[in-house]
Amino acid sequence: MRGLLITSVLLLCSAILGCSQNGIRPMSRIGASLQRTADSRRYPSMGQRWLASLASKNGRERVELVDLSSGTPVPLNGINQADSQTISLSVSGDGQRIALVRQREERTELMLYRRNVNALQKLPINPPGIPRSVSLNGNGRLLAVQVSRRGRWDVDLIRLP
Amino acid sequence: MTRLLIAVLLALSVWGCEGRSTRAPSGLVASQQQDPALSGDGRLLAVIVDQNGRPTVQLRNVQGGAQLRLRHLSRHQPHSSPSLSWNGRYLAVVTQRGNHRMVLIEDRQSGKAHPLRLPSGRDPVQVSLAPDARQIAIQTADQGRWRIELIDLSGLIEPDRPAGQRRTTPSELNR
Repeated sequence: MRGLLITSVLLLCSAILGCSQNGIRPMSRIGASLQRTADSRRYPSMGQRWLASLASKNGRERVELVDLSSGTPVPLNGINQADSQTISLSVSGDGQRIALVRQREERTELMLYRRNVNALQKLPINPPGIPRSVSLNGNGRLLAVQVSRRGRWDVDLIRLP
Repeated sequence: MTRLLIAVLLALSVWGCEGRSTRAPSGLVASQQQDPALSGDGRLLAVIVDQNGRPTVQLRNVQGGAQLRLRHLSRHQPHSSPSLSWNGRYLAVVTQRGNHRMVLIEDRQSGKAHPLRLPSGRDPVQVSLAPDARQIAIQTADQGRWRIELIDLSGLIEPDRPAGQRRTTPSELNR
């Protein structure tokens, strides 16, 4: 009777929770490298073999893209500008595009960086609003952006060529 | 003449990258939506909506806007920082358990939930799943500084790869 009760409880827990915790492992080598190369690091966005983040060093915060297969950052010429502050970012799954929201001269702008041409471009928001948080899909052709309009938050979807 | 041609080409390239914008589907009741996350294939969108005053993750089809059921994510609010795998099989989100923040990954295919306790013991702030869900990056706070912890999930969940993609080895990734 007692065995039946324990089995029933276990089955019930399993059915309700369906949980597991084993099997996770910290990626220590890359993790140590990330910690060594920045004083502070936030806003992670993962691609297939890429990690984009805002890395702070000597008081300056920069957008950084790390190739996880080698653990080293790749050049992002022109994405970091002295007079702007990035507040949100997202890398495409293939690592080729980075969408970001930045504040510059009291304006909040939605930008797209394309690595193949090293070009940072402003994307218009229609109808106008203030962007906050971004997400790119795998190939970087679809962008979701949280936009403030008249005191409420919307999510716009932007299809990119 | 050459200058005019260059100016026209530059204008076309800028215009060509502006894209077409639409409002994300929000169902019958137009609620506020925050923290968007697209699946790798772009078919699904996760957002945080206000549900009776509690920030709650919601999953929708991009086409048509149909809301998809989430088995394990109707409680443990507030939810924040949703992240989807390639086909949207896995949805990771930061949830609340007692006094602690916790990452929960819902496997929509098997119906299982995978709560993650970080090996460091720190509370998660923001998460991002790799498209194939083999790794997750988690932002935590450590002695007043932000840091990102990378966790290998390959011993916990199956990968969620694009349809038809073959398996690769780390050495192949470098090519």
